[in-house]
Amino acid sequence: MAEKKIPHASLDQLLARLAERGTVYAPGKDASGDVALMEMPHGEPVVLEYGNFALSPKAFLLPQNQTLVHFKDGKAEEPILPDRETFLFGVRPCDARALLALDKVFLDGDPRDPYYAHFRSKTTVIALACTRPMSSCFCTSVSGGPGDAAGADVLAVSLETDLLLTAQTPKGEELLSSVADLLTESIPEAAQEAEEQIRGAEDQITPVRVHDSARRLRDAYESPFWATASQRCLGCGTCSFLCPTCHCFDITDEVRNGTGRRIRTWDCCAYPLFTLHASGHNPRPTPKERWRQRIMHKFRYAVENFDRPFCVGCGRCIRNCPVSMDLRTVFKEIGG
Amino acid sequence: MTASHEIELRLRDTAEQLLREKKVGLFLGYEKATLPFRTTPLFLTTAEGAERLVWNPFCTANLAVYLPGLFKAPADARQAKSAPPPPTVGIVLKGCDVRSVVALIQERQVPRENLVLVGIACPGVVDRRKAERALGEHQALGAGEDARGNVHAVVDDGTEVTLRREQIVADACLECRAPTPSLHDVLLGTPVEAKETDAARRRMAEFESRPLDVRWARFQEMLAKCIRCNACRQACPMCSGCKTCLLDQTRPRWIGAGTDISDVGIYHLLRAFHLAGRCTECGACARACPMGLDVRLLARKMCQEVEDLYGYRPGEATDATPVLSAFSLDDPQDFVTEP
Amino acid sequence: MSQTQTQSAPEAASDKAWEPKVVAFLCNWCSYAGADLAGVSRIQYPHNIRIIRVPCSGRISPAFLLRALQNGADAVLVSGCHPGDCHYISGNLAARRKFALLKELLQYTGIEPERVQFTWVSASEGGRFAAIVEKVVEQARKLGPNKKLVKNL
Repeated sequence: MAEKKIPHASLDQLLARLAERGTVYAPGKDASGDVALMEMPHGEPVVLEYGNFALSPKAFLLPQNQTLVHFKDGKAEEPILPDRETFLFGVRPCDARALLALDKVFLDGDPRDPYYAHFRSKTTVIALACTRPMSSCFCTSVSGGPGDAAGADVLAVSLETDLLLTAQTPKGEELLSSVADLLTESIPEAAQEAEEQIRGAEDQITPVRVHDSARRLRDAYESPFWATASQRCLGCGTCSFLCPTCHCFDITDEVRNGTGRRIRTWDCCAYPLFTLHASGHNPRPTPKERWRQRIMHKFRYAVENFDRPFCVGCGRCIRNCPVSMDLRTVFKEIGG
Repeated sequence: MTASHEIELRLRDTAEQLLREKKVGLFLGYEKATLPFRTTPLFLTTAEGAERLVWNPFCTANLAVYLPGLFKAPADARQAKSAPPPPTVGIVLKGCDVRSVVALIQERQVPRENLVLVGIACPGVVDRRKAERALGEHQALGAGEDARGNVHAVVDDGTEVTLRREQIVADACLECRAPTPSLHDVLLGTPVEAKETDAARRRMAEFESRPLDVRWARFQEMLAKCIRCNACRQACPMCSGCKTCLLDQTRPRWIGAGTDISDVGIYHLLRAFHLAGRCTECGACARACPMGLDVRLLARKMCQEVEDLYGYRPGEATDATPVLSAFSLDDPQDFVTEP
Repeated sequence: MSQTQTQSAPEAASDKAWEPKVVAFLCNWCSYAGADLAGVSRIQYPHNIRIIRVPCSGRISPAFLLRALQNGADAVLVSGCHPGDCHYISGNLAARRKFALLKELLQYTGIEPERVQFTWVSASEGGRFAAIVEKVVEQARKLGPNKKLVKNL
């Protein structure tokens, strides 16, 4: 696949060119000073030095609040999904990889999710390799890496003077050829610099023993560890909402006099209400069952069903948990 | 040795003794977390575990949030027969956290006689987001407190950075009026006087001086960031007692589940209203919010109004009647519309 | 990053001049009876008001008022017995505190104070009821349609 480069100074031009074809999101500092994916033009300089955004890009494919059907005067109408192309620039490799997990659920399943499929087909992902992983990162332990290109259409690596751009998919090839006049062929030195940078970033990541997670978790199902570890959990929803692979949702109707909508919203298995039956019975009545389920889903059921853990090691759950729970400790406790 | 470290040692001894002498069956405190600028709650049941307890500027969680769950009444008479007796719980509490416990006792959610309150006079906790932002492009590898109460962090290039406490202290702590636990069985640390006792009032007065539409725009701006995760509610000790939150109720359904700005607005308005006369200004909600909202915007106002109109502050006296469970024949009624 | 992907149904064109919709929660024993007396006495008051009868003003939860605004009410009026005259002795006294706090809260966020109003009307005050309704409707008319907290479906 094509390997091109573009000087940093010309990045704005490339993004402007993409903006002619669709909506472009690029990293910039928001009102609180944090770096987030913001719609261009956002008036802020594009930032290439950051850990990761608070929200994951799943919001673009599986919005927090999505209308599935409209009702008007008692009749149902399909929503008109926006037809525009979306370009996400600056997505970290872990988040790009997460999209492959979501694809397994929403595209490979039967039925195929037409809403997700629509946004997926209209979205082009330009991932940006990491130079300085955070202490909460562990992508390398879940088959990813700071320079991993899985899930991205183009992988960008920020070098001293240039951005190295490598197409990963036909969509990525198409994107690079559409801005070919802004790019030059990459040179071996650039590829070398990129590789060294990525290797250096990999060395900074503390590994987590996630190997053989499905079997180990199966064996540890009744361990007393779950009860003690989960006592702290507030059921606040932060982990699921920020997680790039979490995808559970609720469907509710909002109707007023025959007019309204059916919406899909994010849900969280840590909520006490998540498995509450209409009878009043709750098969996951305490944080123990819910925390255990969360880990099982991500590292056992997903592996058994999809051959991949539903975790990309982005660390958002660890950084943002109000009581600082850390799922990496699970792998220390369950042995094996 | 820093003041915090001294307190930490005495805290461990206290907990060890309480557990060993079986004065409590469970001791709630904090222990070291896996990331800097944080601690994580510790549920201790054995005296040997007491050495895991820590006390430092990163003890931010309000542990009172766990209490209502520990003292839930049995669902019915049959369950009451087989239910275990309520636990005895020792708990580490900052000044604000104690107010939450007192408020819970006022509401009969937790029994005073089952609690051993280990109060710690607190100069303010660190907001980990402020600390991380203050480091700019650097990341902390580890952080601790120095002799002056400031935070020193070792960053990724090996250098040490000192962050002044007042610059990274949590927003709620800047408005704190109860740094020293009023109710306690054990008190650790030197009692601290509240500093800026009208910081909250000044902040509200500034907000209220803006015209109506400006205030609405500010409110909407804040709501636009809300992802309806409910972290604010789940972290709040006054919210943790309700079996089903009004805002989750489906029959009837008061608000939609999504991020429609009207639903988000009513979520925050109703939650603030339900906290009127109950919020003890600990700031756990704002610290829990993953999107950095000023979740206390509305609750702050309710605290002020309850004080001004009824001379009441929750969490001060265990036998005080909660303000909305009481009334007076001459309560103010300037708000009433006359023809 | 856009979160909401909801579409609002297109608004129906109206060829009638806009009239404010005011929802009134009236306590059964005093205010509702007062409104009834106004009717029986043929006292004219604006038709913009939609009355919901509740047993006592103490029954009112702020959720009702906010829901009314969300569903498109331009103003909400709550009326109970005069303090000291509550049929249930103290329902309105308990409510008085809630109403005071709610009014402050809504105003604080930038919602016009005239959108949510509280009053006391006794069973014999038909004229007073009509006068208050006049006032509330007029104030709502001057403010225009309520756009704050409205949920468009």
